[in-house]
Amino acid sequence: MYSVHDKLKEKISGLSLTLQEKYEVVLSLDKETLREFIEEEIGKIKTLEKLSKSHLEACQKKGGIVGVDGSNNRVGGAHPHFVEAYQALAKSTIYKDEPLFLADIYTPLAEGESLNSPIEKKEDLEEIEDKKNIKLSTIEVEAAIEAVERFKPYAILMDGGLIRYNIYAKAKWEELRTICEEKDIILVGVIKDIKTSIIGDRLREKYEAIDASFYDRELLFGKLQYGEMIIINEMVNKKGIEGYSSGFIRSSLAPTVIGIDILDSQKTSIEEMARLILTLTPQTSRGIPLWLDMVDKEVKISDAIMKGLMERYMDRGLYERFFISERDKRD
Amino acid sequence: MKVVGITTQQEVFVGSKDRNFRINEFLIIEDPYQDDLIGEVVEAQTFNRYIPLNIYGDMVDASVIESLKSLGYNIDEDTIYISKVRLLNEALYPVQTGSDIRLPKFSEVKEIMIQSTREEGLVLGVIRNTDDMALDMDEEFKDILYTFEERGLVPQKEIPYIMDLRSQHHYPHIGVFGGSGSGKSFGLRVILEELMNQNIPTIVLDPHFEMDFSETPDYLKEKKDFNDSFKCLQVGVHIGVKFEDLKSGDLKNLLDASSHLTDSMNNVVDILFKPRDSYISFADRLRMLTEAQEEGNIEKIENRIISSGDAEEKKAWEKRKELFLNYDKTCPYNSVRGILWRLKRLENEGIFSKDIKEIEIGLQDGKLMVLQGNTRILQVFSTYLLNNLYHKRREYKDAIYKKIAAEYFPPFIIVTDEAHNFAPKGYDSPSKSILKEISQEGRKYGVFLILATQRPTLLDETITAQLNTKFIFRTVRASDIKTIQEETDLTVEETRRLPYLRTGDVFISSATLGRTVYGRIRAALTTSPHTLNPFDELKLKTKQKDDGLFNDIKEKLPINEGDLLDTAMELERDTGITYTIQSLEEKLNQMVQKGYIEKEDTIFGYRYKNK
Ligand SMILES: Nc1ncnc2c1ncn2[C@@H]1O[C@H](COP(=O)(O)OP(=O)(O)O)[C@@H](O)[C@H]1O
Ligand SMILES: [Mg+2]
Repeated sequence: MYSVHDKLKEKISGLSLTLQEKYEVVLSLDKETLREFIEEEIGKIKTLEKLSKSHLEACQKKGGIVGVDGSNNRVGGAHPHFVEAYQALAKSTIYKDEPLFLADIYTPLAEGESLNSPIEKKEDLEEIEDKKNIKLSTIEVEAAIEAVERFKPYAILMDGGLIRYNIYAKAKWEELRTICEEKDIILVGVIKDIKTSIIGDRLREKYEAIDASFYDRELLFGKLQYGEMIIINEMVNKKGIEGYSSGFIRSSLAPTVIGIDILDSQKTSIEEMARLILTLTPQTSRGIPLWLDMVDKEVKISDAIMKGLMERYMDRGLYERFFISERDKRD
Repeated sequence: MKVVGITTQQEVFVGSKDRNFRINEFLIIEDPYQDDLIGEVVEAQTFNRYIPLNIYGDMVDASVIESLKSLGYNIDEDTIYISKVRLLNEALYPVQTGSDIRLPKFSEVKEIMIQSTREEGLVLGVIRNTDDMALDMDEEFKDILYTFEERGLVPQKEIPYIMDLRSQHHYPHIGVFGGSGSGKSFGLRVILEELMNQNIPTIVLDPHFEMDFSETPDYLKEKKDFNDSFKCLQVGVHIGVKFEDLKSGDLKNLLDASSHLTDSMNNVVDILFKPRDSYISFADRLRMLTEAQEEGNIEKIENRIISSGDAEEKKAWEKRKELFLNYDKTCPYNSVRGILWRLKRLENEGIFSKDIKEIEIGLQDGKLMVLQGNTRILQVFSTYLLNNLYHKRREYKDAIYKKIAAEYFPPFIIVTDEAHNFAPKGYDSPSKSILKEISQEGRKYGVFLILATQRPTLLDETITAQLNTKFIFRTVRASDIKTIQEETDLTVEETRRLPYLRTGDVFISSATLGRTVYGRIRAALTTSPHTLNPFDELKLKTKQKDDGLFNDIKEKLPINEGDLLDTAMELERDTGITYTIQSLEEKLNQMVQKGYIEKEDTIFGYRYKNK
């Protein structure tokens, strides 16, 4: 029978084969061997205990936990006819009714020169991508700074790795880092999608047979027990240069692991923070502490809200002229 | 409280962070672009966006939530309350999302809540979930009733439900539906108490012998005396049908109500029943005709005449012959027998021993007349009675219309429990025809129905459709819920709640209001005298009997074996009860077993003696 999807089926089967071949070495690595390698070359594998009630209560007395996350949404059509909105939220477990929101927006239309250059060049795109990241990172860090002032927390959990703040919001980030160090506020990043290849790179260095670099998420899939953590040796941690200590944690029953970043100066707290993350993560979830999940939900700008805000607060004529795409008009 | 989400001109969602909504409460929506709108909560929900809906590992999430609590965050406090609110009147525009919501003041809802004054209406109960609005309620509506709840008698905190009796004139007839134990009879009792307060002439058909208003329930300290306002009458004992007043149609109705009449039987009545017949004259005619028919032919009857012993017998057979000649052809034997059998059955039930005068007088005095008897007797009797009274009222009204003088007959209300027995769906019954007629035309003459049943599905649908106000108590049976859905304006949400209503809570669906009220029937001021458990009753009755017998024989003790026959005869003389030696002995042995007397052996045989 003729099927429109035949070509696609072929492609997918092909991809599966390619991956199989490329990852043969990794896939065939048995668990024990890899764990030994990790212990020797990367860092100790530790079994974490959840924090006790009294420990948590002590954290609460010292100011509770603040979760920080950001989100963005876009209305409109192709470049440059779109508006992107950014929102950051810092929320303390103690002051639940005082969510700390910050926001920003961006559209190429408002940036002068882009107005006349509808043709997208690669550099343009990168520049725009950077702008987005800068805006979002900046308000996230700003929210965190304000949260420090306002909530005086024991620790701040940022959603995602810390390294991107160095890249996109350097000045503000240094400010935050300094305050946290001064005030003894532990600052951590919780990374849902780890993108590092620390173990893979090391494997490649050690074994000639391995000629590709594998990502940590691939290698660690199913290799740690629930509640186990790897504290990465400073020697191999590339983030060390930027001043962070890092680790991996299997924080839920899902076989994936998550990452944790902490300020170098606070690295003695990494285990405590890992235990905090383990404690706050539902066993059946994908590994993210519930508090961050909640902040994530609250900070999200839904399409409906975005559209509603545009319709309500933007001049109708301008809105239609610039931001309603042909596709939108159709439905 | 604010309007949230998508709105229409009929319905909005309202969200609140701290106020849990209650179903059927009223809210005012302050829409900046139109006048204040009033709506009723039809669905209430709580929602916590953080508590995941699909929790596999309950325990884990619970531990995480506990941990968050230790960190100072209580997830329960992030619960929000959401309600669906239906506007009483359609708005001009869809309601503005974000509009403020507030609770109404009493003055704003008075018109929709209070249908009548306390003096003119029936104070039946409270409108549930109106306590906030009742705070600044006019004094005249405060403290006029109690409700009876699990914890006992509770003072009124909500707006009273006062039914407008006068509106019956435009929207007549009331239905009371609900499963067994849902509070129907209790509700009827309260309605009847109110009718008595208003001196409304009322007839109650009471197959359960429960509508007596002479006793005060335990929960009330003060007694409310209704004794001058009602009277219980048993069919066949206190009231009945005066045979001499019957017209052929009435008689046929009665016979038919007793047991269905065939066409041929109807015909027999038409032929054999004569105006001014007494029960005896009519029954004799039937009997003699059947006796003649049993002879088989005219020759045999003539033989009987010839061989008669005395003149009287002869005369009687001649009479039979005459009847035979006149009626044998038109009145088949079996049909005559059928009529005779039905007639005797009615007579045995005492129906012909009294009349309905007492009921008429009671109605004229504005009293509540409770007619008691088993369902079948009530069917028979009510058919006659209602026809009779309804037509009296009709004649009076028609006479007024025609401007001729007529004897006054008051408007009145007919109340019955187990109404499906009196007006069944699907087949004809004599009581149904008159109820149907009243349901359709009674309004014109001021005759109204209050019909209660636990099986609305079995009630004649034409009649059901005429019930403009319906009290709907807890209903569990799916078929009845379906009927209710079809026959009322209950919303889907309300219908869904029917199986879960508390006893005494009720939806009142009323054509006058054009909407449904969620209420609770007030505490009744009276109680049925026989709330005795049937098994206790049985015990009591047996004991009474035993005590009676012991009393009768006490004086005769000791009784020797040889005296049994004499004793039996003495007992028959004293008490009118006949014993054989054997049955007396049995009784005495039972008395021994129950410990009333002793039995001992003597040299003359055994004897029974005092303990
Ligand atoms: N409105 C009410 N308030 C308090 N108790 C009630 C109420 N209605 C009914 N009850 C209680 O429930 C019992 C059953 O009610 P009843 O009216 O006899 O039910 P039904 O006639 O529907 O079978 C009553 O004996 C009474 O104790
Ligand atoms: Mg009942």
